[in-house]
Amino acid sequence: MAQSLTSECTPLKLEYDSCFNSWFEGYLEPAVSASASSEQRAKYSKEKAEEYESKCGKIWASYRACVQKAVKEKGLNDLLDQAREENPLKEPPSNQSSSVPPS
Amino acid sequence: MHYFSQSCTYDHSWARVVIGMWHKYPNPHCSHVVTVDVVDRTINPETGIIRTERILGCKQRAPIWIVKLFGGSEDAFVREISFVDPSTQTTTISSINLSLSQFATCNENIKYAPAPGGRTIFTQTAEIQTRMTMWRSAADKLEGWLAQRFEQNAQLGKVGFTDVLKKLWDEANERKEGVPASS
Repeated sequence: MAQSLTSECTPLKLEYDSCFNSWFEGYLEPAVSASASSEQRAKYSKEKAEEYESKCGKIWASYRACVQKAVKEKGLNDLLDQAREENPLKEPPSNQSSSVPPS
Repeated sequence: MHYFSQSCTYDHSWARVVIGMWHKYPNPHCSHVVTVDVVDRTINPETGIIRTERILGCKQRAPIWIVKLFGGSEDAFVREISFVDPSTQTTTISSINLSLSQFATCNENIKYAPAPGGRTIFTQTAEIQTRMTMWRSAADKLEGWLAQRFEQNAQLGKVGFTDVLKKLWDEANERKEGVPASS
């Protein structure tokens, strides 16, 4: 796994990434097949979101605090805020019209 | 404006490609990507969609005229937002440059979706465009340079990710089944 913005955050990042990855690997395939009903899906998603929180929530909080500080130190704060303001991207882009231009 | 697009098919299921996505870096084919950080992540407890916001740090030596004109440095940063939706088996990734963003934007959109035969189709589009009215020939040169870099990196990214998936899944198959992955 790649390094973090600052070497100080790299150990936290690596720990967080492996926590997320092992959760994600268990999450994805059942999530794909759990599409029987939206009720079933919601139940599964809720359980898994809680499991992620309990497994990775703590390390995420430490890593995020570290990386937020690093983002500031690298002078990326304003650029990131500006990009977020211009395009928050809170919803998947498939909800918007396709941006593929006519060929 | 420069426009770029490519698509290809990976010989792995959508789930395997998306798991592999988080293992793409570091990658010897994409040594320009040095740092990768998650700055925000949410798992929607109703839809199951995972939204991830990352910052990628790249080392790209910019030509001297870019550094002089626009004050660029060796470090370039990109903001990337991805959505993984297991119910529709769609992954979308949107990226925008943070560095030099007052002068030019490089907007990239990637999609991974299932293809027939348990494969996965990858489509990538990008638009590179200078942002404001400035000295026209400088703007054109900047845009041209960014587009050229983007295309080079896009090719390397494809080769690099193919390797990652091969390593991750062919070896996993051999371990599990004691036989090479069927093709």
